[in-house]
Amino acid sequence: MNSEFLILMKQEMGVTLILFILLFLKIWDGIKENGILLHLINVLLLLNFLLGFVLNQNGELFNGMFATNSLRVMEKSVLNLGTLIISLQAYDYLKSHKHLLEFFMLLLSTLLGMFFMISSNNLLMFYLGIELSSIPLAAMANFDMDKIKSSEAAVKMILSSAFASALMLFGISFLYGTSGTLNFQELVSLITGSPLQVFALLLVFSGFAFKLSAVPFHLWTADVYEGAPVAVTSYLSVISKAAIVFVTLSSLAPLFSHLNEMWYHLLFVTIILTITLGNIFAIRQDNIKRFLAFSSISQVGFILLGISSGTATGATSAIYFLVVYIFSNLGAFGVIALLSSQTGKENISDLKGFYQTNPLMGWVLAISLFSLGGIPPTAGFFGKMFLVTAGAAKGNYVLITIAALNMVISLYYYLRVVKAIFMDKNETPVEPLRGSLSLRLALLICMIGVVGTGFAGGFFEHIYQLAAK
Amino acid sequence: MNASTMVFYILSAVILGGALLSVTAKKIFRAAVFLLFSLIGIAGLYFYLNYEFIAAVQIVVYVGGIVVLIIFSIFLTHESGRDMKEPSMISNLFAVFACCFAAALTYLFIKEEHFNATPNPTLEPSARNIGTQMLDITRYGYILPFEAVSILLLAAMIGCIVIAIKLKPKE
Amino acid sequence: MNEIGLTHILFVSTMLFFIGVYGFLTRKNMITMLMAVELILNSVNINFIAFNKYLYGDKLDGLFFTIFIITIAAAEAAVAIAIIINLYRNLKSIDVDDADIMKF
Repeated sequence: MNSEFLILMKQEMGVTLILFILLFLKIWDGIKENGILLHLINVLLLLNFLLGFVLNQNGELFNGMFATNSLRVMEKSVLNLGTLIISLQAYDYLKSHKHLLEFFMLLLSTLLGMFFMISSNNLLMFYLGIELSSIPLAAMANFDMDKIKSSEAAVKMILSSAFASALMLFGISFLYGTSGTLNFQELVSLITGSPLQVFALLLVFSGFAFKLSAVPFHLWTADVYEGAPVAVTSYLSVISKAAIVFVTLSSLAPLFSHLNEMWYHLLFVTIILTITLGNIFAIRQDNIKRFLAFSSISQVGFILLGISSGTATGATSAIYFLVVYIFSNLGAFGVIALLSSQTGKENISDLKGFYQTNPLMGWVLAISLFSLGGIPPTAGFFGKMFLVTAGAAKGNYVLITIAALNMVISLYYYLRVVKAIFMDKNETPVEPLRGSLSLRLALLICMIGVVGTGFAGGFFEHIYQLAAK
Repeated sequence: MNASTMVFYILSAVILGGALLSVTAKKIFRAAVFLLFSLIGIAGLYFYLNYEFIAAVQIVVYVGGIVVLIIFSIFLTHESGRDMKEPSMISNLFAVFACCFAAALTYLFIKEEHFNATPNPTLEPSARNIGTQMLDITRYGYILPFEAVSILLLAAMIGCIVIAIKLKPKE
Repeated sequence: MNEIGLTHILFVSTMLFFIGVYGFLTRKNMITMLMAVELILNSVNINFIAFNKYLYGDKLDGLFFTIFIITIAAAEAAVAIAIIINLYRNLKSIDVDDADIMKF
């Protein structure tokens, strides 16, 4: 046990340690300056991210309640990096916030929940992880205390996530009842496909769909994204989504391994609904946060398309796409965060003529949107291409045709925003924005990611080797 | 029908009746009180199954904690005598129909299922066994979920304090 | 007490589950929606205890799951109520229909 335990759980330990450092800082109340605290937190998060590159080891602890391997360590590092970027971006928003330390305490506890979720080989730990990553997040959505929208977002989020996890639990209870075990590996071999088990698996799947905001369980997404503070929205749409996808790959998909046919049909319907409805709603939005919410719903559909192939290539392309998605979405959200914190504007029509006054930010936003839309030189193109090729391996051309059609539709609405930035005339464009050094650093990381991941050819193979093991 | 089965049927009636009234009551305070009855009935069911520890936890946490919390929040946010809005006829009918159908289907699945009981000897759910396993780090130990849930409670506490605390407005 | 089989208890929990779902779908008031969720969680608890009692008595898995569900339900209810009270302060109403600044 002893030292092995520390090494296997290093990332969880790191997050918990930072959580407690912040708790003591809060109690001590010695540093009054929010700016200094933020820099300190960013350094800690950076150290935690670097922790993912040393002392990697595979193993199991607590009788399979916690299991780790290189792939899971990599996934956690991705989440760590995303959290660091969000924290850098939130500098302007949090600098004047009264509850800065509490914000990060809640943020880190949700991150810890996601780590437990990714590492769980056990239904109980999985459930605890999913709750740990959603309850504090609802509290964070309420961090603009005196805005009605923000509390409303929080209420909608906690009620819908409580309902979703209750549905999932009912399913889990029947899985336990029919198999007598909570361990994922043992469970996989005990799934026989009796009607009750199929029903239970469907309930578990719908819980997942809720958290992924896949159609028809997407109704909470747009309201929550719009109402919550930008930092929380970006965290919700990127980090928590990525975590759920990782778990879907590592835990949910194997549960269906004896019910291949059903799993594929289930995904088939979900993918078509998710991609199409997400796109149709995204076209109509003017608020840019809602717009990104609906477009992210349709992105989830593409990720599920990769997963539906059921091969290591599919899993790899899903993970690869998520990394790209994190960079591109956070790039877009960074500019929105700056816009919203300095002018309070959040509408696409406000972006008209954005390029005239903010050429650099205009380019950042445009490149991020190109990547989200999947336009060639950016990494988003490779990501989508891998997903679609993986999905095509099954030879289901209906699915691929619908996906391709939707890619065109999504290009239309992403380019509409880009057109507003570059071409539309506006008498009163947004005044020049001055981003903090942190924010610009974060955007730089995102841009390097968006361009670099596409050209770093070894990256895909690296993930593939980890995933194929 | 002997005394034991009678007890079970009475308990079930309390649980389901309380629950049904709780989701249909017009006044919110009444709904909370019916919820209380239902939860006490469930605690009774745990006693009936000889799971005394869980029954005690159920009474302490649910009946003594959550329902009291709910009742307090009702007092803070409502005139509790006011009637609540009723759902529209169509959505109500639709929900009733869907739930009845799904419940019947689920019960059918349960009837069809062949449950296999384990042949191994029974471990008594006494407080001693529960306590030992809860803090055990070896096989079947539950120390990791215990720690995880403690972080969750810490986070929930921080979240509640931040949200519900009323700071004095700045002059 | 052998007359009461597993299916009897599962019947009660299934009914309780769908009563909760019905409540969640039809109620417009946030606190009553929370109450419906509590009912669903309780039906899950009954399931776990019943399975643990009748089928898998050699381990205490179901019982522990129940303990953790109860703990989490408490935390969830506390956070939800804190948020609802905060919303009430801003809005002076807690009906979902009144909170419709944002539209789908």
